Amino acid sequence: MPFIEAKDISFSYSNGTEVIKEAGVSIENGEFTGLIGPNGSGKTTIGKLLCGILMPDKGNIFLDKEEISNLELCQIGQVIGYLFQNPDTQIFNVIVKKELSFILELKGFKKSFIDYQTEKMLNLFKLSNLRDSYTFNLSYGEKKRLAIASILINKPKFLILDEPTTGLDIKSKKMLSNILKKLLDRGIGMLVMGHDEDFIKEMAGRTIKIREGRIIG
Amino acid sequence: MDKYKIDARAKLIITLCLSSIAVFIQNVYVLGFTLVAAILIAMLLGAKLLLVLKSFKKMWFIFAIIVIAQSIFTNAGANLITIGNFSFLSTGGLVKGLEFVLRLAVIVISATIITTSSHREIVQGLIQLKVPYEVAFMVLVAIRFLPIFMGEFRDTVTAIQLRGVDIKRIAFKKKLKMYYYIFNPILINSIKKAHKLSVAMEMRAFRAYPKRTSYLVLKMSLRDYFVILSSVFFTVALIVAYYLFLRGGCFESIINYRA
Ligand SMILES: Nc1ncnc2c1ncn2[C@@H]1O[C@H](COP(=O)(O)OP(=O)(O)OP(=O)(O)O)[C@@H](O)[C@H]1O
Ligand SMILES: [Mg+2]
Repeated sequence: MPFIEAKDISFSYSNGTEVIKEAGVSIENGEFTGLIGPNGSGKTTIGKLLCGILMPDKGNIFLDKEEISNLELCQIGQVIGYLFQNPDTQIFNVIVKKELSFILELKGFKKSFIDYQTEKMLNLFKLSNLRDSYTFNLSYGEKKRLAIASILINKPKFLILDEPTTGLDIKSKKMLSNILKKLLDRGIGMLVMGHDEDFIKEMAGRTIKIREGRIIG
Repeated sequence: MDKYKIDARAKLIITLCLSSIAVFIQNVYVLGFTLVAAILIAMLLGAKLLLVLKSFKKMWFIFAIIVIAQSIFTNAGANLITIGNFSFLSTGGLVKGLEFVLRLAVIVISATIITTSSHREIVQGLIQLKVPYEVAFMVLVAIRFLPIFMGEFRDTVTAIQLRGVDIKRIAFKKKLKMYYYIFNPILINSIKKAHKLSVAMEMRAFRAYPKRTSYLVLKMSLRDYFVILSSVFFTVALIVAYYLFLRGGCFESIINYRA
């Protein structure tokens, strides 16, 4: 059975219009899957359904053989790292380096380990010179990089990234694709939503196309 | 229910009257009567009371705790439960707790009366009541932005859980820290939104002209005047009568009776 499997899911927001229409997706861990479609086609919604943020009206979703409604969000969070499209809702600290370390502190790791991991991530995402800056003054691309870094510090087994490349310049994109390729080599799979077909082609994986809430290939 | 459509200003006055009664009067019977009146008025004007009740479903627990706390710290009337010398629960305390819940219910239900008008009408009502336009506009912005903030709050709470934090079972000392983490993005985003909004408004020449005219102008009918006058008159009469006759009168003597 695939790592994430959605069978005939339908979903409507509270205003009643059906945004996802009997969509089925199955995603293997360890490989790259791109989900592309125009604005408003339901990419973000599918992503939120697949990691249990939203519950489907019809159909079932299985994560690692477990029906997703039986899992709590924090249990899912141990397995999946989810990058929200809007970086502002997922930056919890005022200082850049604090944003990387706080989650490990909450989980009770040793200080020396936390410091080591934080430095590693700051270097990896070229954020070292911003370590003591205020997070709310960062540029959009910097925020995006910080958000991805603070998800990776958690060592997830699978990644769902909602438009990770929007707002990144060519150099940052290259940097991100190199980091993601390294993760793939380590067997960490990922689902990436976006319009950036070049980026998805470069990652050389499977692509799923979505249009108006239907999977079309 | 088009038949009972009244002016937004009349609704504002009714809400003001009902909540003044709730604040000034400390008598269970009067508060109970006010609650019934508030419910009737809200239903006549077509307020969605069931929806409000539903959103309060999770709050019953907090109400219960407040009622119990009120009863414990008020010591009047006959003792119902005593532990040693300490009166744990008394009739007077229960009455105080009940008063609190009634007061809260009246305020919430009277607030739903306003929501039967559209946002635009409420703001126009405030302006025509000589509230400065800036203040009225702020009220409108607050109403508009509330759902956006709720959505962002939900996203943030989800995001922190998806980092593997079990917000329900986390140790108490860390819980306070976690609240700090959750409120950080909300606070920062709202300050930034407010800042952006103010710049955008200045760019569109907000307050450039001293006098603003409106396309929508509310007109009061005879019925609106009648509603306003009668609710103000009734409220003032009730509060005056309460302070002259009822307070420290028959009701208090029943509570303070000790066998
Ligand atoms: N909270 C919500 N309430 C109501 N409708 C919503 C909500 N969120 C999204 N929608 C609607 O659902 C549809 C799909 O939205 P979704 O965000 O999944 O699209 P998307 O493919 O991620 O688009 P984008 O490329 O712009 O990120 C859109 O038509 C949108 O208007
Ligand atoms: Mg999206």
